[in-house]
Order: sequence, then C-alpha cells, then structure tokens
Amino acid sequence: MHVKFKHLAGALALAGIITPSHANPEIDALRAEIAQMRQQYEARLAELEARLKDAEGRAAPAAQPTASDRLGALTSGAAFNPQISVILDGVYYRDNKKGKGPELYAHLDGINHSHGGHDHGHELERGFNLRPTELVFSATVDPWFDANLMLTVDSHGGVELEQAYFDTRSLPAGLKLRGGKFFSGIGYLNDKHPHQWDFVDQNLPYRTLLGEHGLMDTGLQLTWRPKTGSLYTLLGVEALQGNEQLFATAGLATPTSPRADGSPLAPTRAGELTGKKAGPRLWTAFAKFAPTLSDDHALQLGVWGGWANQHQEVHDHTLEDPGSLVHALEGKSRLWGLDAVYKFDAPGAYGAGDFSLNAEYLREVKDLSIAFHEIGSRVGQPRKFTQDGFYVQGVYGFAPRWQAGLRYDITGLTSKVDGPAGRLREWDDSNRWSLAVTHHFSEFSRLRLQASSARLAVDGNRERLNEFWIQYQLSLGAHGAHKF
Amino acid sequence: MTRAFWAILLALTAPLAWALNVVATTASMGMLTRSVGGPGVNITVLAPPDRDPHQLQAKPSMMRALRDADLVVAVGAELEAGWLPAALDAAANPRVLPGRLGYFEAAAQVPLLEAGLPADRARGDVHPMGNPHVHLDPQRMADIARALAERLARLKPEQAADFRARAEGFAGSVQARLPAWRTQAAGSGGAVLYHKDGVYLLDRLGLPLLGTIEPVPGVPPTARHLAELTDRLRGRRGVVLYHPYQPAQGPQRVAEALGWKAIAVPMEPPVSASAEDYFRLIDQWVAALVQAK
Repeated sequence: MHVKFKHLAGALALAGIITPSHANPEIDALRAEIAQMRQQYEARLAELEARLKDAEGRAAPAAQPTASDRLGALTSGAAFNPQISVILDGVYYRDNKKGKGPELYAHLDGINHSHGGHDHGHELERGFNLRPTELVFSATVDPWFDANLMLTVDSHGGVELEQAYFDTRSLPAGLKLRGGKFFSGIGYLNDKHPHQWDFVDQNLPYRTLLGEHGLMDTGLQLTWRPKTGSLYTLLGVEALQGNEQLFATAGLATPTSPRADGSPLAPTRAGELTGKKAGPRLWTAFAKFAPTLSDDHALQLGVWGGWANQHQEVHDHTLEDPGSLVHALEGKSRLWGLDAVYKFDAPGAYGAGDFSLNAEYLREVKDLSIAFHEIGSRVGQPRKFTQDGFYVQGVYGFAPRWQAGLRYDITGLTSKVDGPAGRLREWDDSNRWSLAVTHHFSEFSRLRLQASSARLAVDGNRERLNEFWIQYQLSLGAHGAHKF
Repeated sequence: MTRAFWAILLALTAPLAWALNVVATTASMGMLTRSVGGPGVNITVLAPPDRDPHQLQAKPSMMRALRDADLVVAVGAELEAGWLPAALDAAANPRVLPGRLGYFEAAAQVPLLEAGLPADRARGDVHPMGNPHVHLDPQRMADIARALAERLARLKPEQAADFRARAEGFAGSVQARLPAWRTQAAGSGGAVLYHKDGVYLLDRLGLPLLGTIEPVPGVPPTARHLAELTDRLRGRRGVVLYHPYQPAQGPQRVAEALGWKAIAVPMEPPVSASAEDYFRLIDQWVAALVQAK
C-alpha cells in the first residue's frame, strides 16, 4: 500500500503535474532545457512566418498580369460518360368507334394501303397507354466524331433501335457527314422525335406517305452549309439502304402457293420478282433556306426529293376478298416535298405570345410494273401510283407556359393508280382537324389535351372519327436542345 | 522560289487575318469583346438583350453566324445549354467547338457562386457547376476581359499588346467605379430577385439576397411561395428587382404586401453596347438597390 503511493507520487512529479513544493535539481534542469527549446522553436517559427508572408506578398501582384484563359465549357455532364436522357410518354385515349380508331388509320385508303402482315405494334387501347419510352445517349467520341444512340422501349419491353449514328466534327468548309441509322433530313418534321411534336400523333401525309415514324433508314448523309451571306443555306444528300420503307422495299419473295386464303395459286401465273439490288437503293436530296430577319422573326423554307431505284410490293388480299388475284409489283418510286416554317418569338416570359406556323406538302409516285400475276399475261403492264397530302399547323403561347395548337392535315388530294389504258382506281382523301392545349410545368414536363375530328376513307367508306387524348411527357437527364 | 511561295501565301491569308469574326451569345459578352477587341473584331450578338437567355431556340440565323465565326464568346456554365450546343452542332464549324481555341466561356474564367450544389431537378433548372449569371459583377467582368485578351492574343498575336492594354483599360474603369458603387449601395437592405441572376452584383456590393420570386429556378411563382416570401420578409427593408421579360405580377404583389418598390431593371446592355453602356446598366442596378434604404 505504502510502496504503491510512493511510486504514484514519483510518477506525478516526473510528469510535472505536482507543483514543485520540494525542489529537485534534475527536474529544474529538464525544465530549463524545455524553456530554451521553446524559445528557439518560437523564434524559428516567427522567422518562417515572416518569410512566408514576404513570399506571398511578392507572389500576389506577380499573378495578376499573367492572366490566362481557359479552354472548354463548364458542363454538368460527367467527363467521359455519354449524356443520357429519357423521355417518358403516356396517353389516355378515347374515340367514338369503341377503340377502333387506330385500326382505321392503319387501313386508310391510298397507294400505301396496308397489305396485311406488317402493321406496327404500337396498338392504342381505350384508356391508359404507355407509349414507347425514348432513351437517348450522346457523346463526343474524339476530336473527329460525335455519336448518338436512341432506343425506344415499348410497354411490353420490346426494344427498337431508332437511331445510331456518328457525325463528323472536323470537316472543313461547312461540311458534315453522318453515318448509321438516322431520321432523314428531308422536310421539317421528319427528324423531330415524338417529344418534339406539338401534337400527340403523327400527321396524315407523313403517316401515309413516309410511315408512322417518318423516313428513317441506314446509310450516309452529307450536308453542306455554303457561304451565302446573310442567307442561311443547308444542302444535303443522303444515300440510304432503302429497307422496309413504304415506297422503298426490296428483297421480297415471289408469291408461292398457297395464297392467304389457303387455296393454291392459279396455274396461269407467271413472272417473278428480281433479287435485291445492292444498296444504296434510296437517295434523297434536300435544301433549306432561312433569311436573317429581325430578332423576333425566323423563317425557313425547304424543298426535298427522294428516289428509290428498287421498290417491290406483293398484293395478296384473298383473305378479305377471295375473288382478288395475287400479284406483285416492282419498279422505282420518287417523292418530293415542300416545307415552310415561320416562328415569332415574343418578349413574353415562358413562351407567352410566341407563335409558330408550319406547313408541308408531300407527293409520292410509285412507277411500277407487274412482275408477277396469277393471270400471267398481265406481267409487264405498268402501274403508276400517285398520292399527295399536306398539313398546316399553328401553335400560339396564349399564357406563360400554356400553348394552344391547331392543325389541319389531309392525305390523298390525289390518290390514284394509272394503268396503260388510263385510270384504274381512285380513292377519297382522309382529312382531320386537331386542337391541342399544352401546359409546360417546367422545361422538363408537360401535359397535353388533344381533340381530333377526322373524316377518313377506309375501304371506300367515309368514317367520321372523333378522338380525345390526354398526354404527359417527362424528360429526365440531359437538358434537351431547343431545336428550330 | 520558296520565298515567293510564302509571300503569296501571306498575301492570300492576310485579308483573312484582318478582322476576327466573333459571335457573342449575349449583349454583355458582345460589349466585353468590343471593349477588348477594339476595331479588329466583327461582332454578332445572338440573344436579343430583352429575351431570357435560357429560353431561346437554335435559329437558322444563329447557325449562319456561327458557320463563319473565328471565335464564340459565351457566358457558359450551361446558361445557353438549350440552344448554343444545338446551333454549334448544326453550324458545322470545327473552329468554334468547345475545347477549341475558337470557343471562349466567360464562366470558365472566374470562380462561380453556388458551385457544387446537388444536381437535383427538384430544385428546378439548376446549374450544378455554378450560377452562370456572372456578367453583372463588374469585377469578374474585368477578370474575364483579361482572359479574353489572352484568347484574342492567341488568335491574333500581332495585336496582343493592344488586346491586353484594352482589357487593362476596362479593368481600370471598373476599379475606378467600384468604390462609388459600394458607397452608394451601402446601407441598402438587399433585394428580392425574380431569378437568381443578380446575385453576383449583390455579392460584390456586399448586399444580401432576400429571396427569389421563382420558387426554384425556371419555375414560375406560385401564390403560396409568394405568401411565404412575404411573411418571411415582413418588417425588413428591401426592394424587388425583375427584368422586363419576366412577368411583373409576382414582383408587384410581393412589393405591395411589404410596402417596398418593385423595379424593372434590364438584364443586359443594348446590343451594340460600349463599356460605358454597361457601366450605366450597373448604375441603374445600384440606383434600384438604393431604393431599399
């Protein structure tokens, strides 16, 4: 007990915790040494601090004149990851035909009347529908290329590759080359994605002459912006494969027995479809012009053409009409169109007072001849299919974040087939009025109400179709571009 | 022979090198380029000064101007995210793409306020790398002018000294005016802004930002947000500032409820502004802020 206490006292004394009531020469010496060290240390510290201050003082004014500029852009995108954006798109749909509206559109009369078999899967139901979700990835590959990928995923999980292309970055003289699968640059609306449309659905001339998505194919696109003073000029040519387009399809098989209705082909049949030609089988050319107007106004006018050097069609309507004869056609087709866009940018906030008007005219001619027929003597006869259409639409920002749009679209102003001895068939036109009101909650979300009233020509009958839509669109991820 | 070749090449390229075609995204960037570049530059401004620079669309006329530009002077930090990348993409001019010598971003030259906030759109149209509205801070504009002089010097080395001298001249004018602006603004109670676009000036003058009319950036005001704002600020001194392109109802409602003034101040100087016009814009802002005394 006693021993323990003595040791504790010694330890405390050594640690300098106990005040020196009884002096110890050893401790005093240690203390003196520490004090001396502290003094030296503090002096050295003060010296270093003074030197630092001095150096800083000299460095600060020196930094000013050597101002340097930094290259590049500040962006929130992670350095090497592609920019990703996702568009969610859902609609509530009703019509006055117990949900048969979408089917009527799929069977509109005209030169591209659906031949059964290759209807698109985006069937609309009465009520809630999730439309294909768009996924877009884009990035700069290296100093020479940009790349872009767009997938859509439908509500059943079906994935479709809509676009996958590269763009050159470094070509001189205002040239740019695009390659891969992409929306063609023809017309005004063709390369707009559904989330950039001002209406829920595709317009009638596009739907019937180009297809529900517009013209989208695999190939190359070369664009050139020549120096034309204050006039903006864009010239482009495209060499496309010509796959599964309404006016450019190749590689179809010559019909064989049995026919769609199950009975064998007539013994009088003759002819056959030729093989698939090497691509490109579809060429397009387009030109866009925009004068420089005052800041509030923008105008762009365009003209385009498309030429398919091989197009094949097989007609087997025997299931609906057993009296009809199976035949196949082959030849070339051509299209052309005009487009005009005018936009007024009002000083109002959030798009209030902004106005845009755009219109396009499209005309398609399929110059075909009979390549196969159940009545063999008809092989070789020419058949010329012609159809045209236009749409006009205007959108006005009637309040901040609110837009009202009105559209009139018509297809089949001319809609006919000519044979060697004149007109063989003619169809009625289909036309429609649509009114859409859109509310933009922010730049990234919107809600749209649309009502349409259409007079459609289906199997020679006039159908009056009224439709009503409520649509939401949400955009996640990268900030979308405000394209013209 | 070789000498003759070089002489011909020089003769051919000399007129090209004569005037630099600069495209400025906003009027203030145009002003800065004009002040630093002097007579050696041709300037085209893309965004009209009375429009919200967030909301513009990539128009063909912009692509036209960018097609032949030697230099783009942008505010940056994604202020022009909606339209400048799209217009640059369509213009097919490799010289002015981001990362190249022909692309200059003002926001990349100076430290930004509000940098590093979460990239969460629930907070509105946010800019996680910082608030891009640097142009209302004269001090930062002076720093940007110096960086711009360096860039112009890299593009046109023969005029480097002129560019640097003009940038120093601009910086000197800012230095000469700053004390007066500070003194004048001292004692102001601060401001409620429509959008967080005047924060750099408030910060420079040492004044508080009392709130924003927008609940989150890029989203129009709601009645509830305005009521909360008013309740929070009751009894304080301040002024509500907004731009002519922003709706006046919200600012006026808040100002009325608080017994303050709601003042419309322009965001940008005129399209062909000189440095003096820009200083007058700052004068106008300071004069408006003084109303909160």
